Amino acid sequence: MVIEQYTITNKYNFPQPTIDTSLPWRFLEQSLYSLKQVQHQDLQLNHQTFQQLSVTEQYPSSIQLKPQPIQIKPDRQETLIAAVDTSTIKIGETATGIIVAVRGAITWRQNQTYKYTRLGPFIFHITEDNKNTVYNTLEHAYFSTTYGSMHTASPNIMQMPMRLASLLERWMQTMLAKTVIRGIILFDGSLISGTIETPTQRLREILGCARRNSSIVLAFSKATTLRANGILITEQLPSHDPPYLLETTGVHFKPPTILLGDVYVARLNKANFAFRLDIDKETPAEQRLEAVQKLLGNDLYKQSYPETLRLSHILCTFTANEVLAIKHFITRKHGIQMVNRPDMHRLLFGPFGKGEIYA
Amino acid sequence: MKLYKKEGNVLQIISFPTECAEKGDYLLVEDQEAGKALIAQVIDVQFAAVPGVLEELLRTLPDGGEPLQGEDIDPMEIAPHITYIQDASLLICKIRATLENDMLTPSSSWLPSRSQSTIKKLSVPMLMKLAKIDGKLPIVLGGTKDAALLTIDASSIDGTLNIITGKKGCGKSHLSKLLMVNLIGYKAVVVIFDLNGEYTSLGLTNDCKRNAYYDKIHTLTPSQNFKVALDQLHLNTVMGILVNALHLPGTSAREFRRIWKMLKEKGKLNMQELGEAIRDLNCNQHVRDALASRFHSLVNSGFFTDSPGGATLLDESLLKAREQGGAIVINLKNTSNIDRQIVVEYTLGKLVDSLSNWKLKAVFLFAEEAHLYLRETYWDDIVTRMRHLGIFATFITNQPDTIQETIYRQADNIFLFNFTNEHDLDVVSRASRVDAETVRSIAHDLPPHHCLTLGKVVSDFPIVARVRALDLKTMGETRLFFKDAGAN
Repeated sequence: MVIEQYTITNKYNFPQPTIDTSLPWRFLEQSLYSLKQVQHQDLQLNHQTFQQLSVTEQYPSSIQLKPQPIQIKPDRQETLIAAVDTSTIKIGETATGIIVAVRGAITWRQNQTYKYTRLGPFIFHITEDNKNTVYNTLEHAYFSTTYGSMHTASPNIMQMPMRLASLLERWMQTMLAKTVIRGIILFDGSLISGTIETPTQRLREILGCARRNSSIVLAFSKATTLRANGILITEQLPSHDPPYLLETTGVHFKPPTILLGDVYVARLNKANFAFRLDIDKETPAEQRLEAVQKLLGNDLYKQSYPETLRLSHILCTFTANEVLAIKHFITRKHGIQMVNRPDMHRLLFGPFGKGEIYA
Repeated sequence: MKLYKKEGNVLQIISFPTECAEKGDYLLVEDQEAGKALIAQVIDVQFAAVPGVLEELLRTLPDGGEPLQGEDIDPMEIAPHITYIQDASLLICKIRATLENDMLTPSSSWLPSRSQSTIKKLSVPMLMKLAKIDGKLPIVLGGTKDAALLTIDASSIDGTLNIITGKKGCGKSHLSKLLMVNLIGYKAVVVIFDLNGEYTSLGLTNDCKRNAYYDKIHTLTPSQNFKVALDQLHLNTVMGILVNALHLPGTSAREFRRIWKMLKEKGKLNMQELGEAIRDLNCNQHVRDALASRFHSLVNSGFFTDSPGGATLLDESLLKAREQGGAIVINLKNTSNIDRQIVVEYTLGKLVDSLSNWKLKAVFLFAEEAHLYLRETYWDDIVTRMRHLGIFATFITNQPDTIQETIYRQADNIFLFNFTNEHDLDVVSRASRVDAETVRSIAHDLPPHHCLTLGKVVSDFPIVARVRALDLKTMGETRLFFKDAGAN
């Protein structure tokens, strides 16, 4: 009910009225709402970037890696390649909570040119008092009411930055799935669902939407813990000329975790790197191969990783300059004073104290 | 603005884009608790080392060279803050003085509070008021960046050694004319060695009408209206000409001295008798030849006459100038190198003579490109011995390395125009009243007609000003072949 007190002014510019923009509207609304509560407080500087960790990736022991690689060739048929990634950073702590910033980036390659749209940053002051309101309001804005009841139990404060970033990422993935026709959509991470951050129904809807638009989702994981015979699947590369895919079998997770894709190991060029690649299970095998070949023919690669996805990651990541700017913003607009309390680890242990985040 | 660092007498100050400070500006770093303030001058503006800027710039340049095109949907409007931080600058400032109880001291030994100090721009009028750069005999040099007038006191040029330097065509002669006419206005006697004949029409306005200085500008052109008779000369002056300008060897000089005394005793000290005495001289052939060749040089200069009536103009001009102030312009245009040296030797000798006898109180001497006519030993003579007699020199040059280092060390005021060449700036930075960094940094970026004034006239607070225009027929412009080509 507090939310209704806010009137969003027209100066905020959101794109394309044809797509559902309720989530970014709510992001802005909740951001302003949360920051209003923190006015004239002190802020302890302590910024920390959160990596989207695959915490649920407990590897099943039955994984097998097919030794015979699937040879692939670049298919240069003009195809839109689009990628999405989000980033979050903790700017600092207040007496009652934390200040975090969230931003997402969509990058696409068309006609040999990369273009991008960045959304954010959105800045939140998350406290024990407002975390439920903020999270549930955003959940509700994105997710239909059918699933809303599942998530009324909001995460603890320290999990909030990741949750907020995940919400934004899923919304951006949905937007891509709805708007990209006959293209390749690249996700950062895996197609594991059934977690708090990625409910199965939500990911299923995104993949279904992409399929309806004749697009295929390819999810690249920068790091994986999946092992076959005790060895990481990305480190069992055959002596075969790239590009190729290695197929896996037996990847099953304990419920409620469900994998909505099939797992491959992709080595896309001669760089001695390979990545875990998840491809939508519902996509026929022939189309999967076709999709990877189109990706090869339409994108650039450095270290065997698609440039479109790399750019998405780079564009959404917060630089030190931006962190300073965000601090400047919250100081000027919301009267939050920066304080630099001593790091107790450093204070007590001197050069042996590596800071609180490493403790 | 925020105080970042202090190392020696250099302050580093963080400045944000809205607080535009430029090279040459003065800042007041005030520590209210300490009751003191530092006056510092910006000598360089750099980008602040903001962390993450490199990443920021790099990520807009993907492989392939073309900048990444895209749209930023920034509903909270953080982008201006990013730009604000990214464009922050670091001001490198030299501490010029400490202000305490309205008194200035040239100290930088205390440390103002980094967190509590307030930093604001100090306007030139305010600085001039604090530094007491004013006086009863104002000379308006020009306008400063903040639309104030830079006014110096004529008495701060009195008894000083001044250097006006800068690259060609940046306004050195213009400034020297400005100083000169202002000194005349205060009834000073000014002597100018005018190498290019550009001071001869200072009595006229741009449209060739007589101005207030018309009756005070006395142009003397050697061998035309400026001649001397031998009997008006002191032997030392003639010896100076022969030895220094005409390089007469010692033995021949001794012989000449003997001839001179002999002619003087007979009352026959004129060119004709001197020529005959040399011709009839019974001595070594080489000595006679040496004397004869010097005599012919004197004759050929056209500067010497046997008619006493035609050789009184310098005395008359000095006399007039002594009463009402005035400038004696020695027009050295179209004068050969040797003749120039003869004329300069004579003029300086005459001035020393007049000053020694208190016929004159003091003389302001303006010398353009003095290396072309001033012998090496004269430099030190002018700045040490002649200063005590009352000759206050202002050297004007576009080749700063032609002025000896000792002259720079003793210079009281330097009017510095733009120099691009590092070597030239290095030479000027040897002056004892300036610091090398200030000279190198500020003079390098001076626009045309802008002058960095250093030294006593500005109480050692270097100030940049655009030299004001003069309604004088200055004649200092370079003659151009293609000047009218654009009009056709």
